[in-house]
Amino acid sequence: MTPAQQKLAELEAAERGLTARRVRFWLSTLAVIAFFLLAGHLVQIDLGKLATGLPKIWHWVRQAWPPAIDEVPLFLRRTAETVAMAAIGTAIATALAIPMAIVASRNITPAPSLYYPARWFLNALRGIDSFIFALLFVAAVGLGPFAGVLGIALHTWGSCAKLFADHIENTHLGAFDAVRTTGAARLTAIAYALLPDILPVLLSTTLFWWEFNVRASTVLGVVGAGGIGQELKNSMDLLDFPRLFTIIAVILIVVTALDQLSGWLRRRLV
Amino acid sequence: MLRASLQKSAGQSACPRLVVSELTKSFKGHVAITDISLSVNEHEFVAVLGPSGAGKTTLFRCIAGLLKPDRGALHLDGADITRQIGRNRRRIAFVFQQFNLVSRLTALENVLAGRLGHISMWRGCLRRFERSDRLLALESLDRVGLLASAMQRADTLSGGQQQRVAIARALAQQPRLIVADEPVASLDPNSAGSVMALLQQIARSEGVAIICSLHQPHFAQSYADRIFGLSRGRVVLDVSTAAFDQTAYEQLYQTYNG
Repeated sequence: MTPAQQKLAELEAAERGLTARRVRFWLSTLAVIAFFLLAGHLVQIDLGKLATGLPKIWHWVRQAWPPAIDEVPLFLRRTAETVAMAAIGTAIATALAIPMAIVASRNITPAPSLYYPARWFLNALRGIDSFIFALLFVAAVGLGPFAGVLGIALHTWGSCAKLFADHIENTHLGAFDAVRTTGAARLTAIAYALLPDILPVLLSTTLFWWEFNVRASTVLGVVGAGGIGQELKNSMDLLDFPRLFTIIAVILIVVTALDQLSGWLRRRLV
Repeated sequence: MLRASLQKSAGQSACPRLVVSELTKSFKGHVAITDISLSVNEHEFVAVLGPSGAGKTTLFRCIAGLLKPDRGALHLDGADITRQIGRNRRRIAFVFQQFNLVSRLTALENVLAGRLGHISMWRGCLRRFERSDRLLALESLDRVGLLASAMQRADTLSGGQQQRVAIARALAQQPRLIVADEPVASLDPNSAGSVMALLQQIARSEGVAIICSLHQPHFAQSYADRIFGLSRGRVVLDVSTAAFDQTAYEQLYQTYNG
């Protein structure tokens, strides 16, 4: 028997029968199946309800024609409000995220003792959705888009800063170290050696969050935080389907156009 | 058995194993190689030397089918392979500078990748290899001295070991030609020496031709049978290892600076 044949026999013997590996595989498969059965039970899947519900939606869609063309200028103004909320909120978030990301990057943080508190803080911001923040701010600063801007800014601050920091932690610090050894201060070294490397990613992340926030903030109006969502909710409450579907169409067109614009910008910048 | 199976597929032919004729390739107007012609025989271990940017990698990638040449022809055992891709390419194995192993798979699974050009697609996707393929892979691992590490994940191996796994992968492919692009450039001198010695033995015993680019002329002198010199995309030197002397060395490397 050659060494290779011997090894093959060993491998085959190890693969035969009830190996620990196989037991683990089947146990985890069972666990996953059980998990999804439980989850399916919790979300109360009911195909019967879906079968009776779908025709209702179809009925509404048919009622929606002709669209509420005369109100389109109002919808566009409201949508512009939504886009502006997303833009201002994202811009504020990015401005706050950059210094926070530096503190929350293990490899370059100027204050290692603040690393974990910074991470926790960002996780808390990230864990609370802009919708919930907006709900709080509507109560605090009153109805209107300003509450929406604050909600978007806070949630996006946490999300952006975490992505930035994760990226900085994965960046190769060779150039940064080289600039540090010339006697440059830490901040100078960050600006000189790190920023050129990570800038494309920062821009691309920011554009992504702007896009995301435009989509997310269409619903902020539902809690009274301004924008097109307010009109959407009113139409739904009044069962005014021509109006409702016209609004959805306007949102779809604007969001698609913005996605294209931001994709184009990303290709230009990155 | 590995040796026997390789020789069985090798057969006997009078023509050189690989013939490259007037191969030209340019990238966006920049000419990388111009009218390169050379040939490699069975059992021959050929080294290609030349300064960075001389076109070694372009030449090798054309031979391996990773690049399409603009002009010229490639013949393997007398058959034109210039436009061939896919399964026919399995007769040429490539060894990369950076090993290019799948880091999350075991050494054995990486070597079994060499069988993918021989087996059906579903077997390849599900990693269900036949017994004979597994035996061949283990024999290849034994050949490079890593049988004991067969079940180790590729990324837990040292650089030299990884390159030897990559060579075992090339062997499992049962190729007619092994193309090695700077196989020792990322290795320390000891590992590099053992990898070179291994390639030399394989060329001698397995009936396979090897063409190998290098940055260290002394490795070429110690292990290769013949040395090609490339400079600015052209073959400027074609000598037996014994004839590679100081004059040849200077001609190859110093004209470039001048």
